[in-house]
Amino acid sequence: MSQQVSVRIDGELCTAAEGQTIYEVAQANGRSIPALCHMEGLSSAGACRLCLVEVAGIGRLLPACTTPVNTGMSVTTESENLAHHRVMALELLFVERNHICSVCVSNGHCELQALAQKLGVTHVRYPYNYPRLSVDTSHPRFVLDHNRCILCSRCVRVCDEIEGAHVWDIAARGINSMLVSDLDRPWGESENCTSCGKCVQACPTGALVEKGRAVEEMTKRNVVVTTLAAKRDAHP
Amino acid sequence: MENLSSHSLSGTTKNFIDKVVSEENGRAGALLAILQRVQESHARKFLPRETLEYISQRASVPLSRLFSVVTFYALFNLEPQGRNTVCVCRGTACHTRGSSRLLEQVMMDLGLRAKEDGESDKLTATTDDGETTLRTVACFGQCALAPVVEVNHVIFGHMNERSLQRELEALSKREARP
Ligand code: SF4
Ligand code: FES
Ligand code: FES
Repeated sequence: MSQQVSVRIDGELCTAAEGQTIYEVAQANGRSIPALCHMEGLSSAGACRLCLVEVAGIGRLLPACTTPVNTGMSVTTESENLAHHRVMALELLFVERNHICSVCVSNGHCELQALAQKLGVTHVRYPYNYPRLSVDTSHPRFVLDHNRCILCSRCVRVCDEIEGAHVWDIAARGINSMLVSDLDRPWGESENCTSCGKCVQACPTGALVEKGRAVEEMTKRNVVVTTLAAKRDAHP
Repeated sequence: MENLSSHSLSGTTKNFIDKVVSEENGRAGALLAILQRVQESHARKFLPRETLEYISQRASVPLSRLFSVVTFYALFNLEPQGRNTVCVCRGTACHTRGSSRLLEQVMMDLGLRAKEDGESDKLTATTDDGETTLRTVACFGQCALAPVVEVNHVIFGHMNERSLQRELEALSKREARP
């Protein structure tokens, strides 16, 4: 049995197991912290910075999804400062690529869009990058549209950790970071891809979608991934 | 995965990679060490696609993971490198001492053009004849010597157009010899 720790989340005293992240403990105690790169059943990446929280005594904001709880920790999940930073993180995701919701197959079923609506992002204060990006249609059943990718790496992790194929990874760094399959080959040529479609189900946006969907038609089933992960944990 | 196109690798290259992988695998940082040693062993100091495919098989590292690593570190090259390397510092100290003019001069001299994608702060380009690779770095840590240009891994400080010209000429004379 792992050690129990007590922490305060928004003032409320909570018990947690040692090693649990702030995100997990907050969720178990009925708080919802915004998140995009986090997905239940996968390892944490800390890629999107939406889950930032305040921890008393620490001068900077910490990502809840990768920070383990400590005894005596006092966490704040909602504040003006946090709201400001979360909105900024979303705005920066929007300016980095070309997110045009009105023509997107995932319009209405997109986690980025939903979170922006929830956090009240009505406009973006920074200039858009408008990068020129490609769309990979080489796979017989799926499409990768880099314009809509937020580099959350959920597809990378689901393919590696659940399917075991590790077709995806993130190449280069900084503003040049890009999702790649194998040695940056067209997806359809990947020898490792099993066409299982888990990456499509895990992708929070319209970056990975099924072929043949019209605007607003692509709904995703994250629960597929979470259920598989849970089953795997039950039969290691 | 027998059918990956490692057929174009020579037996000696494969043996070398096998040896490096067996020596390094299991150690901390093994992948970086493997990639570095294999790149160093190539006459043109780069990692061809077939080589990466073979490393992927032997070291059991997914292809995309390999690609992610070699594109993250500036140390690794996916293109053949020139026999000579000229590296111009574009750090702040060197910039204030006119390194952009030196860079322009080398580019003109070698007949290289800046890439159009606006990424001019980080540049790697090799002349068509494969003789010289020009790179920029963001600071050699030798700011007192600004502006700094490195030629074939030798640091030259306080460079001006004339001294740079001399070094480039010395290079091309070396090339001319058989
Ligand atoms: S394709 Fe989707 S899941 Fe993969 S990194 Fe981009 S946004 Fe995330
Ligand atoms: S959910 Fe924590 S950084 Fe993305
Ligand atoms: S800026 Fe050129 S060596 Fe530091």
